[in-house]
Amino acid sequence: MSEQLTEENWKGTPPFDARFPNQNQTRNCYQNFVDYHRCHVKYGEDHAPCEYFKWAYKNLCPPQWYTKWDEQIEAGTFAGNLKG
Amino acid sequence: MKLKPDTKKWLVNPYHLVEYSPWPLTGSLGALMLTSGVAAWFHKFNMNLFYLGIMLIMITMMQWWRDVTRESTMMGFHTSKTAKGLRIGMILFIISEICFFFAFFWAFFHSSLAPTIELGSNWPPTGINPLSPWSVPLLNTVVLLASGITVTWSHHSLMTSNYKESAQSLMMTILLGLYFTYLQGCEYIETSFSLSDSIYGTTFFVATGFHGLHVIIGTIFLFTCCMRHLKFHFTKTHYLGFEAAGMQAAAWYWHFVDVVWLFLFISIYWWGS
Repeated sequence: MSEQLTEENWKGTPPFDARFPNQNQTRNCYQNFVDYHRCHVKYGEDHAPCEYFKWAYKNLCPPQWYTKWDEQIEAGTFAGNLKG
Repeated sequence: MKLKPDTKKWLVNPYHLVEYSPWPLTGSLGALMLTSGVAAWFHKFNMNLFYLGIMLIMITMMQWWRDVTRESTMMGFHTSKTAKGLRIGMILFIISEICFFFAFFWAFFHSSLAPTIELGSNWPPTGINPLSPWSVPLLNTVVLLASGITVTWSHHSLMTSNYKESAQSLMMTILLGLYFTYLQGCEYIETSFSLSDSIYGTTFFVATGFHGLHVIIGTIFLFTCCMRHLKFHFTKTHYLGFEAAGMQAAAWYWHFVDVVWLFLFISIYWWGS
């Protein structure tokens, strides 16, 4: 990707991701949510580019989904691997 | 008194024209009672209908097959033409069994190749501790492969009229079958997950459980053959019990159960863990 993703061009909806070519974008939403947390683990809490994943999952996921997942992470019951 | 045989019924063709028998009726009634009984049991009613159904089915099976043994071994109704029909019937039955297990493998691969996000997109799902394939399951693989050898040994002994070796190797096959069932029982007690612990537990127990049931049925089939063999029902040329409806059918069925296990071992126990 030649063009750098900045806060500026995060407008609109997340771009097409070839890993999720189907109409059902559930896994796209989920992968961005997991990647957001993995990004923090890998680059630290203050790493700004990680926010891209948050922007993406907030666009792709129904709000009640990530609210539930946040609660699960809090309770230590989230099923996915957040350590990367 | 008429001593001449009824040529219309007995001699004009090689096919076995069966007599009137109550067993199709009692079998159907038993099947209906068993299905309704299981449904009632699952809805937390009593199990009376279930017990009644299973008893009717058992009684029907024992008496129907007793009649078949009489017709084939004692009355000589199983001509080569009839035996051929029974062989084709057994082959078709085993093909239907392949389809039955194909469905469970489909369910397993559907769920495991692209695990849903609820499982954390992982297989085995987060929190599931699968059994190690290199412990008891590997031993079970060896036990079943060995039993496949002994059943072939028994079959070939029968074809060369070696009565003693045929009986001995058939008994060894039965013992290996019982040992497999015992080991699977021990494994089921060991597991940390149950039938209702995510799609992993469901696909695991439905597939391995139905296989275990088939091993038990196959063992009973081989045991029946063994009893008939000890009563000299099978000869080199007339070993329908082992070969078509009996000895060969039992051997085919046993090999089928063996092959299903190999697929279960490779995909569910090994790849799936």
